[in-house]
Amino acid sequence: MAKAKNAGSKAPKAKDGEVTLRPVSELDIEPVCAIDEKLSGKDRPGEWERRISYYIRRDPELSLVAVEGSRVVGFMLGEVRAGEFGLEEPSGWIEVLGVDPECQGRSVGKRLLEGLLAGFKARGCKAVRTLVNDIGQKELLGFFEAGGFKPTPIRTLERRS
Amino acid sequence: MENVRSSTLPKKYHDAVVRWGQTFLPDYQLLMDNWEKYFPHDKRHELCAYRQMGMCSEIECGDLKGKPKFDRASQMTPQLADHLLKAVKAQASTELGSIQQHQLTLARAPEEVDQFWVLRMMAEELRHGYQMFHVLLEDDWKSVSDVKGEDMVEEILQMRTGSHVLGAFNIDFDSFVDNIVFCAFIDRVGKYQLAMQKVSAYKPMAESMPPMLQEEAFHLATGVVPMRRWIQSAAKDEGYVSMDHLQKAVNKWYPRGLDMFGDERGGGSNVRMGLKPMNNAQAAAEYTDEMRQLLGDLNLRYLRARFPKLSRDEAQERLKRILEKGETVEGIGPENLLKLPHVSFFRRRGIYAYQMLDIEGKPVATVADLKKHLSSVLPEAYATARDMTKFYELMGKVVAGEVKAEDAVHVLPNLSRVGGVCPCSRAVRWVIDEPAKSNGH
Repeated sequence: MAKAKNAGSKAPKAKDGEVTLRPVSELDIEPVCAIDEKLSGKDRPGEWERRISYYIRRDPELSLVAVEGSRVVGFMLGEVRAGEFGLEEPSGWIEVLGVDPECQGRSVGKRLLEGLLAGFKARGCKAVRTLVNDIGQKELLGFFEAGGFKPTPIRTLERRS
Repeated sequence: MENVRSSTLPKKYHDAVVRWGQTFLPDYQLLMDNWEKYFPHDKRHELCAYRQMGMCSEIECGDLKGKPKFDRASQMTPQLADHLLKAVKAQASTELGSIQQHQLTLARAPEEVDQFWVLRMMAEELRHGYQMFHVLLEDDWKSVSDVKGEDMVEEILQMRTGSHVLGAFNIDFDSFVDNIVFCAFIDRVGKYQLAMQKVSAYKPMAESMPPMLQEEAFHLATGVVPMRRWIQSAAKDEGYVSMDHLQKAVNKWYPRGLDMFGDERGGGSNVRMGLKPMNNAQAAAEYTDEMRQLLGDLNLRYLRARFPKLSRDEAQERLKRILEKGETVEGIGPENLLKLPHVSFFRRRGIYAYQMLDIEGKPVATVADLKKHLSSVLPEAYATARDMTKFYELMGKVVAGEVKAEDAVHVLPNLSRVGGVCPCSRAVRWVIDEPAKSNGH
């Protein structure tokens, strides 16, 4: 299982083409914006400033970026929560991920998932959860199913005004 | 935090830190009263020491690599203990020193959320100082040093802006821009020091680092996120913080950040002794790379906010034209964007200390010319401060050959306002022995 390198001084330089994982930092806001822009077509700096600073504040060693050389090629952000929705046990929640389209098909997402799962396990989580939309996110659903995720009886309810 | 042990200092030291906090961090209670509003779901701040359990138990670098780490001070040589104690003292001094600086301008934050982020960061710096006191007080140093842990704690608590160990902590803040740029530039040096000390051959020091590093990550975001916001407002001619304000603050703090790594020729003995994995020059070079990345990202944000129709690739291409070729495109030239000063600029430690060089590293003929130059590139309030008056006096002596540059490095910044007396209570000492118990009469 892939393991994230520790935060702090820079991780050792990776070999050419080698993808390594490290915890997300405040300097990753712009590279994550760039990946998101490639995927969504939108430039959303405020959104990523808010999100990344939130995850750094919560647990800066948990959420990860994948790095090739010095270039960020993917990210996966999540946190441990307990006591919400009647789920008392601490659970890992994977909340957002992205892989640079140029690097897709190279198991970057799989490496990130393995790294984040290892982080959740180290924090005592027995369950890891995420939400995927059946409509329009088939590929993402397949990604999580390949990672061992299964549908649960917990249902998302929504009311629109 | 998993696998972390928490503890508190003996009561008289704990109380001393609380009293110190009441004096220099008077808004602590305000922070705690508003914790859930600004930091929902986050564990509330506690004044205690944390130690990460289960870390590497073998020395990770240097001559003793592979040998067991030192659990007790008495296992070390006096030379190693001396190096370590100096590092602990410097670390504790910086933690408390930054609180004194931040407090000066905290109330001037343009936005409340930024003010509370800085306030939380200050509370965490207090905990970091507490952590270093824990390292000093939990062990018995008398077999390896003449310095008593309790005396060092008292000495550090008595320091004020002007008498701290490192120069960056002896400079007053002039505006809230300093609070933010300091977090982005000076706390980043702190991150390097903590990350390096995580391999310390002295186990209690190494175990103290991971929880501090976790908090430090938030401190860097406390600097970088508002800078990103401010720069986008400046690009749209909105807000109150201009590119000129930010550039001048960068010019003020980047040289002090580089100084904090120590002389570029030094740091080798820390590596040999297993206290740090990198020498000063290696760490400073990595720091500079990070600062370049930060300013590059900020400049890109500036262009994209100013010219919203530019794609990311187009903005990057334009950035290159402006910064590398010196072109002016649609009214934006190199002078409108942020630039990192040359590493030799305005240095007070290391190979460039007290050299007559401008912001690009080019020679300046006279002290008067240097004064004129610095007045134009530093924040006005700082350029006219006492720290600068003393700097010019010393620079004049170095240029005249009356003082050697290598001797000048030990002089500044050193303001006259030196501690020793609690400003509120006029008590002589922060650490007070508990009164003897009454015998009933």
